[in-house]
Amino acid sequence: MSNPLPLFAGGTFKHVPDAGVQVAKSASSPAQPVGSIPEHSPSGPLVPPPDAYHRYHIETQTAPDIVPLPSRFRVKVKKHRLIAMVLKELFEVKGDLQVALSRPCVYGVFSRPVGGLAPREELCVGCLRCTVQYPGIVQIHPNPQRQQLGDSFIKPEYIDTILYEARTGRVPVRGAGYRGSFGGEGWDGLWTDMSEIVRPTRDGIHGREYISTTVDIGEKPAFLHFDDRGEVVGPVPKMITTQVPFFFDVPAYTTSSEPLLQILTAAARQIETLAIVPITSVIQFSLKGQHIVPLIAPAAWIWLDRLSWSPRMLVLEGWDRERYETLRRRFPGSIICVRVPMDTDLLELVQYGPRVFHLTANYHGYVDDQFVMDLILQAHRRLVDAGVREEITLIGGGGLVLAEHVPKAIICGLDAVSLDVALAVALQARFNGDCIDRETASLSFPRLNTAWGVQRLKNLIASWQDQLLEILGAMGLREVRRLRGETGRCMFQVDLEREVFGEQGGTT
Amino acid sequence: MKLNDKTAEERVVAKHQEALQRGFRTWPSLAFDRPPALGDARWTADLILATWMQAETGCPPDNGLEYQVGQSGGGFDALAFKFLPEEHWVPAHEPVDTSIPLNRRPYDKQIQLPIPWYGAGMSYGSISEQIMLARAKAARQWNTFTSTGEGGYPESLVPYREHVITQVATGMFGVREETILWAPIVEFKYAQGAKPGLGGHLLGDKATTAVAKMRESVPWVSLFSPFPFHSVYSVEDHKKHIDWIKTIHPGALVSVKVSTPTDVDMVAVGSYYAGAHIIQIDGSYGGTGAAPEIAKKNIAMPVELAIPKVHRFLVQEGIRDEVVLMASGGIRTAADIAKVIALGADGCILGTTELVALGCTRCSNCERGRGCPFGLTTTDPELSRLVDPDWGAERISLLYTSFQMQLCDILRRLGLCSVRELRGRIDLLSYHGRGGCI
Repeated sequence: MSNPLPLFAGGTFKHVPDAGVQVAKSASSPAQPVGSIPEHSPSGPLVPPPDAYHRYHIETQTAPDIVPLPSRFRVKVKKHRLIAMVLKELFEVKGDLQVALSRPCVYGVFSRPVGGLAPREELCVGCLRCTVQYPGIVQIHPNPQRQQLGDSFIKPEYIDTILYEARTGRVPVRGAGYRGSFGGEGWDGLWTDMSEIVRPTRDGIHGREYISTTVDIGEKPAFLHFDDRGEVVGPVPKMITTQVPFFFDVPAYTTSSEPLLQILTAAARQIETLAIVPITSVIQFSLKGQHIVPLIAPAAWIWLDRLSWSPRMLVLEGWDRERYETLRRRFPGSIICVRVPMDTDLLELVQYGPRVFHLTANYHGYVDDQFVMDLILQAHRRLVDAGVREEITLIGGGGLVLAEHVPKAIICGLDAVSLDVALAVALQARFNGDCIDRETASLSFPRLNTAWGVQRLKNLIASWQDQLLEILGAMGLREVRRLRGETGRCMFQVDLEREVFGEQGGTT
Repeated sequence: MKLNDKTAEERVVAKHQEALQRGFRTWPSLAFDRPPALGDARWTADLILATWMQAETGCPPDNGLEYQVGQSGGGFDALAFKFLPEEHWVPAHEPVDTSIPLNRRPYDKQIQLPIPWYGAGMSYGSISEQIMLARAKAARQWNTFTSTGEGGYPESLVPYREHVITQVATGMFGVREETILWAPIVEFKYAQGAKPGLGGHLLGDKATTAVAKMRESVPWVSLFSPFPFHSVYSVEDHKKHIDWIKTIHPGALVSVKVSTPTDVDMVAVGSYYAGAHIIQIDGSYGGTGAAPEIAKKNIAMPVELAIPKVHRFLVQEGIRDEVVLMASGGIRTAADIAKVIALGADGCILGTTELVALGCTRCSNCERGRGCPFGLTTTDPELSRLVDPDWGAERISLLYTSFQMQLCDILRRLGLCSVRELRGRIDLLSYHGRGGCI
């Protein structure tokens, strides 16, 4: 069967084993093609030493907020009434101080010696026991300052969730059921499936049974051709395997400082994923390593000459056939990814060779008026219909700010996601107005400490990986690669509502 | 306060108990308006206060509190009944039947519930023994049921055993021959809506010595209920489970609790053929215990969308009248109960609603530190004494009274004399969801 489209981009083959548990082999360098730029070793130990036992694991450690958050609640106490109430109770219990001074809060809000006269608002969790017991004396109010966090897309509760994950590395767990709206717009209108019986057990979530979150980025030809000696004929397809399907996208223009990029790249190295960095910053800050993916924007093309090492992957911003060919020639050992808006017709581009695409939407998840969920579904479906989906890698970004968005985006058709604003939030960036896109977003970071920042991002990714495992485990899937495009494993609210309430002909 | 004849600790507990009970009475009167930090989209401040008021008075509020729907923008909150013109209502003097059978098969014990609901499984450990006892007492008053959940069967429940369902879940905590023999109904929990496909998790802080003893585990060590049953990988295995229960206790009815995946309809049919008398579908928006946020919101479908799917499939298979379909997961009000039945269930199962009646503010701190500050979802000895079981039973019972009154009113206004006539009458509902009106 002939393949209608060119399958290989030229280059060398570099294989990273796909396994959570592996005994690492020596990282032998492939033969360098004539004229290629020699690859420098990464700045850190991406591949473990020979014969070492290596189980992929992200080390989490508490990394407290360095910018204090406004308390969740305001505790308003009518002090004269409080004093009167205590005196009244003292009288009623005949001076029994233990009873009269026992306080309703179990979280320590009134734990100062003067109790309710100087409440510790930062400890209030909003249980309302105090106000239930003493409605005329104490009232609990949501703190309006807290409600101002984020922007029109990143809601305050999103910020709370991301900060918790970055602080602790843990999966957010709360009691008392779901508190939000019924389904909703965008990602909220999609539910993931679960399997009642036949599935990996919860052991997978706790690491006792392996569920893979590794993804393959690169060229995946349908066939390989071999000569008489059993050697592959033609260029060997190039592929990168990462342990998590989360990459770090380039930061907003206004925030690309050296400390931030040091944090992003160092965290990417430790997590064993990829950080996309503008080539100007790569050169300017002398960044290098297998975890760094230079982004070559049209205006930065001239900086390419100063790139003295060969990355595993380069991202070409916008489609330009000539430049794409140039990159392939100059970096034969590298994967060339093409970064285009998510509504681009990929079939047009695929015929010229690209096999890896980075699809982008704005920070709110839109390209014009279409949401990423619909755009991913469309892009995936077109490639499936054309019979080339298995050969293509789709990375997507924009509007993916919560852990739950990742499996949903993968179900819709992405292989991996690129993270943007969520990383900034984890580093306690403050939004200055609506942050809609990379060009105009204004974010203010606190003074960044590299070790702290790296740990925050490791915590965030560890938490998101665990939550991805929860979703995979519930579905009975043993690897995230199988989740890609599995729309049979999700339920769209609009479809279910039509099925349930449409058929019976219910009328208003 | 009559505090003099008690120990210091008892006096402290009594003081707070009295203040709390006063608060539950006072707040719904709106003397202080609505607490600004109370409520969420599903359980609005009005719904919580209205539930407190019903648990106090046995009647729906008449002071403007919204007691029927929340503000979640979909599901129950977007469903409304198409009531008949008043001249077609069932007259007030005619009786309306709210009873349902719990066994529709022609064999095995016949159990009739006077109201179309019973209490959900909440384990000892996730809630206190006082709360379990309050629920059991209310169940006896109403001749309905409560469920042990997966945490064992405290001795204090034994006198109420005719109204207690024994739950058998994947951890098998507290499952013994006698707890099966005591139970009129044995409930297999395959999954739960709040954390579908994820099993159960009791945090170490809640696994007190008493809880550990009940579960035959190590105190202060977290307990995981695995998922799924490691002995069940097919419908045939499921039948084996049911046979096992029937061998030990041939007189027991068997209920099967499952979550709401896309193939929930087929799961229900499989359970029927395996021999289940009751199929409980537990939607994703409910749950009383701690669960990962990602699971509560995103995995499996809300029960409002699952019920019609299951009901229709059972009808198509010609077995709808041989099995009882109970729904749970986010059912808050009498109106919700009626909607559940109109969507196709025989009845429903209440969990969070009962806790709200007992004072839950839905602050979601169940798993934090000592547990619920109101003494509900806690094993802390001091906090759990904030709820007196008799007081709690009375509150739940009065809430039931109000719910039954409202259910009868809804049935009358639909021109129906029995709740059984309402089952599957989706034509009596209109839906005003995101996609417009249907």
